[in-house]
Amino acid sequence: MTMEYSLHYFRNDLHGAWAIAKKDLVIYYLKPNIYMSGLLFPVFMLLAFAVGKSAPLATLIPGLIAITSLFSASSIEPVAIPIERRTKTFDRLLSAPVSLFALVLGESLSGLLFSGSICLMLVIGAAILLGTSVTSLPVLLSAIALSCFTFAAMGAVFSAYPTENVGEVMSLLNLVRLPLIFISGVFIPLETMPPWGQAVARCSPLTYGNDLIQHGFGGPTHFGIAVDVVLLLVFSALFLALGYFLYRKFNE
Amino acid sequence: MSAIQVTGLTKRFGTLTAVNRVSFTVPEGEIFGYLGPNGAGKTTTIRILTGITLPTEGTATILGHDIVRETLTARSHMGIVPETSNIYDDLTAWQNLMFTAELYHVGKTEREKRARELLETFQLLDRKDDKVHGFSKGMKRRLTLAMGLVNDPQLLFLDEPTSGLDVQSNLIIRDVIRDLNDRGVTVFLTTHNIEEANALCHRVAIINRGTIAAIDTPERLKQAIESVQSVELVFDHASPDVVEMLHRIPGVSEVRKEGDRVRLFTPDPGGVLEAAMASLKETGVRPLAVNTQGPSLEDVFVRLTGLDRGHNQKGK
Repeated sequence: MTMEYSLHYFRNDLHGAWAIAKKDLVIYYLKPNIYMSGLLFPVFMLLAFAVGKSAPLATLIPGLIAITSLFSASSIEPVAIPIERRTKTFDRLLSAPVSLFALVLGESLSGLLFSGSICLMLVIGAAILLGTSVTSLPVLLSAIALSCFTFAAMGAVFSAYPTENVGEVMSLLNLVRLPLIFISGVFIPLETMPPWGQAVARCSPLTYGNDLIQHGFGGPTHFGIAVDVVLLLVFSALFLALGYFLYRKFNE
Repeated sequence: MSAIQVTGLTKRFGTLTAVNRVSFTVPEGEIFGYLGPNGAGKTTTIRILTGITLPTEGTATILGHDIVRETLTARSHMGIVPETSNIYDDLTAWQNLMFTAELYHVGKTEREKRARELLETFQLLDRKDDKVHGFSKGMKRRLTLAMGLVNDPQLLFLDEPTSGLDVQSNLIIRDVIRDLNDRGVTVFLTTHNIEEANALCHRVAIINRGTIAAIDTPERLKQAIESVQSVELVFDHASPDVVEMLHRIPGVSEVRKEGDRVRLFTPDPGGVLEAAMASLKETGVRPLAVNTQGPSLEDVFVRLTGLDRGHNQKGK
């Protein structure tokens, strides 16, 4: 497959990835109940962290959006792929004239579109209900798009695990996702972390996504916009490459 | 150029050898049957030939393209209809076809034209906007076949296409296979239905335990096991005593009772017929009809795969 790969096939792969993303959105995500649960999760998270605390709700919104991008985007493929394995529709994707890269990219795109739209609804809802102000819309939109794509690609890595059971993939994924919340400066500002904590935080893509989202709402950036953007792109590329490798490995 | 050229194809899963040094060639325009009992290696062979699974050893080319090194080019020429109707239940018939056509890079105008034609051929046009979860098994099967044809393939892989279907779907699918072949499409067909293979296939390969046991035309395969000729006697009522008596005739290797028909397998149908008629005359039983039969493709299959029919056998 590698020998024949060319610009022609890359273009075909992009078309294939877009077809897969559209299919996923129609089948799995563009449904009222899915959107409701996608929105209810951050609302309950907000309440859980706000009740009994003196901090204004609006200050929690950037971190909440960062966590939402992590949880909603990374859940897309770990749900869709085991279901497709069970219904054998996954073989249809594997036997089509598109590479595994198109499959990983398409699933990541659907994660970006679904999760991105949830995050945008939260931004709009927070602005209307809590008066949260966005100081830099381009930075915020870029931050949401990059975070959602990175975490969707992270979901692709876990969905490569060859099982038909959604629960198996989700439990593996949660082993990684839950610690990420606590080491990425979402609840504890990076500045107040000990040096070893800051070193660990630098290994988490959520750190850079959160940093960029905070900046979109007018907060300071710890690393700077350029570093956040570049590192989120690097994490995305790494996850896509690892996802491709694992899909290939498990389908031999 | 061959549609499929397979040389020394082997697939191992740990210590299990699912496909063992399989070699065959399918010329363009042929309907090639691939028969074997469950677990023989049929689906593994198809998964290798369609580039889903990598072979452990050996090579396979599809219309001149190596399936490992030129996977995407090879796939773009083929249509695949797997054993399970792998369609998206939450999409409509039309959306399923559009999605598959997009994966195969069929342009918008062309895919809409093809989809309409295929839905008409498979008698699904009036249901095109219905979600598939309301379709019957036969309708889902027809839609799966339509999806396999949406890229106008030169080579079609069909895995058990009519298994467990209603008569209408069965007839439609068989007619479509014949029409496709008339238009030059090569068909690689795996089936459990031996009569279907007999009726449709130009040549048949019989695979057992991962190894090809025989490849030839159905007629030649039948001729190759002349020892499985038989004498068929039809009775008003075939009592167990009569069956037992027929069983004792010298030269009869197996007796099979199917309703009121009794089939005596023998390498010498003339001698057995004579002996059977003499024995029946002594007991006063008169058969309603008598036929001699050559081996069926099923007999060939049973002989080559060593399957046990579970019938009354005297030994091989």
